[in-house]
Amino acid sequence: MEYIVQTQNLSKSFGKEQAVSNLNLQIRKGEIYGFLGPNGAGKTTTIRMLLGLMKPSSGTIKIFEKNITKDRIQILAKIGSLVENPSYYPHLTAYENLEALRKILGVSKTRIDEVLEIVRLKEVAHKKVKGFSLGMKQRLGIAASLLHSPELLILDEPTNGLDPSGIIEIRNLIKRLPEEYGMTIIISSHLLSEIDQMATQVGIVSKGKLIFQDSIEAMRRFAQPKVTFKVNNGEKGWRFLLANGIKADYQNGVIFLEECSDEKVAHIVQVLVQEGISVFRVEEEKRSLEDIFLQMTMGEQGK
Amino acid sequence: MGKLLTADFLKIKRKGLWLLTLIGPFGVVALQMVNYGVRKDYLLQQSEDDWGYYLLNVHSFTPLAIVLGIAILTSFIASIENETNAWKQLIALPVSKLTVYLSKFTLLAILLFFSSTLLMFFTMGYGLFLELGDTVPYMELAKYSYFPAFAALPILALQLWIASVSHNQGIPITVGIFGVIFAYSSYLLPDWMIWKWPSLMNQWNQPMINVLLGVGIGFLLYIIGMIDFARRDVK
Repeated sequence: MEYIVQTQNLSKSFGKEQAVSNLNLQIRKGEIYGFLGPNGAGKTTTIRMLLGLMKPSSGTIKIFEKNITKDRIQILAKIGSLVENPSYYPHLTAYENLEALRKILGVSKTRIDEVLEIVRLKEVAHKKVKGFSLGMKQRLGIAASLLHSPELLILDEPTNGLDPSGIIEIRNLIKRLPEEYGMTIIISSHLLSEIDQMATQVGIVSKGKLIFQDSIEAMRRFAQPKVTFKVNNGEKGWRFLLANGIKADYQNGVIFLEECSDEKVAHIVQVLVQEGISVFRVEEEKRSLEDIFLQMTMGEQGK
Repeated sequence: MGKLLTADFLKIKRKGLWLLTLIGPFGVVALQMVNYGVRKDYLLQQSEDDWGYYLLNVHSFTPLAIVLGIAILTSFIASIENETNAWKQLIALPVSKLTVYLSKFTLLAILLFFSSTLLMFFTMGYGLFLELGDTVPYMELAKYSYFPAFAALPILALQLWIASVSHNQGIPITVGIFGVIFAYSSYLLPDWMIWKWPSLMNQWNQPMINVLLGVGIGFLLYIIGMIDFARRDVK
């Protein structure tokens, strides 16, 4: 399997604080890799290490099957990036901002118009960036990252601080890129709903550790609904169920089961009623991805 | 390196840096315009060598202007990258950090020597206007224009180092202000203080020593600053 990005036991500590520990990322070509985690989980630190902005304390990073510490310049020639808040030169126009980068990258001048077209900033190309809205600055940042037609695009919280229409716009843009230009994209966010709508692969990081890495479908499978039973004597009912060979859980006076077919629900109700327990309510509770995400990250924090 | 430098020149557009390189030397000569405007007859009586005396008068303010100018220029240039933390965008490009630093230093050195060249022409222009004598001492003129700039290279290297690694621009500005105070009191400083060097004074009365020291120590401080810059993580 060909991995575009592969890290091995990647760790970074700032003094005593361990920001990232033993991260093993595996990202295949053509994926939109959603890099998910709460604020301060180590996403930005990881991305900075991928871009060679920070040196790992230990572990290795391989991008395009080359080592970032050895072949940094060759690797970066094929990476476009937008790290955290967009960087720009406010006293220059959008065009001049891109021109300053274009000179360094050595691509043709026509690329500037092309990327401005992609992010739809052509009308304001000759206006100073100082007066741009946050969404426009963010789009300019994306334009800058696309300038040299990179094979790998790394976007750190690209929808941060945008209004809903701005978010949708950026999302559509990001979704288009792998199809139209064959890019691989790493996109970080602390919002699962964001990642859910774009990503094909997900990596969840919490407290510097990678706690989940798989396809988005695999993650959705976690989102199976659970069925709860509210009865007059929860603990007694739960014991009867266990005695009857039905694996159920009991919490806060409520009996609940994960993955429950209709027949099984009927059977459980029957058992409970036969044992003389009044069943008040049988409810199906759908778990959103958000809940799973919270549960995953909370569990990690509780340890 | 050439690509980075042209990009760096584009970035200083509309920042008033070119104006500053013009105002510096103009200010130095303008002070002599006031001086000679008010008491030209008296000043001409002070020495047989009117040109030499005039050049010394001009030079009395050059070190101050250079030290102040360097402090302002370096923190301006660093602030262009610091303002929106464009360092991270710049360094994530396929360029080596060493060349990024070299390009900034080169840009500053070009501005500094452009300023020195302007100083030479302004000094000469006003000297000719004053009719100080038919034989213009071109060598001395060039010496008093460029030597202070060479001797100030360590200050340039030091200020760039501090400005590019501090997130708080108050730090380089503070160092710059102290530098100006030092340069102002050059007479009292020991020879080893880099802020004394642009005054071209030393115990042997050999301005060339300051120039050579300036280039040598300037290069050394540049290398140290560059290595430290490359070593640091970009925030």
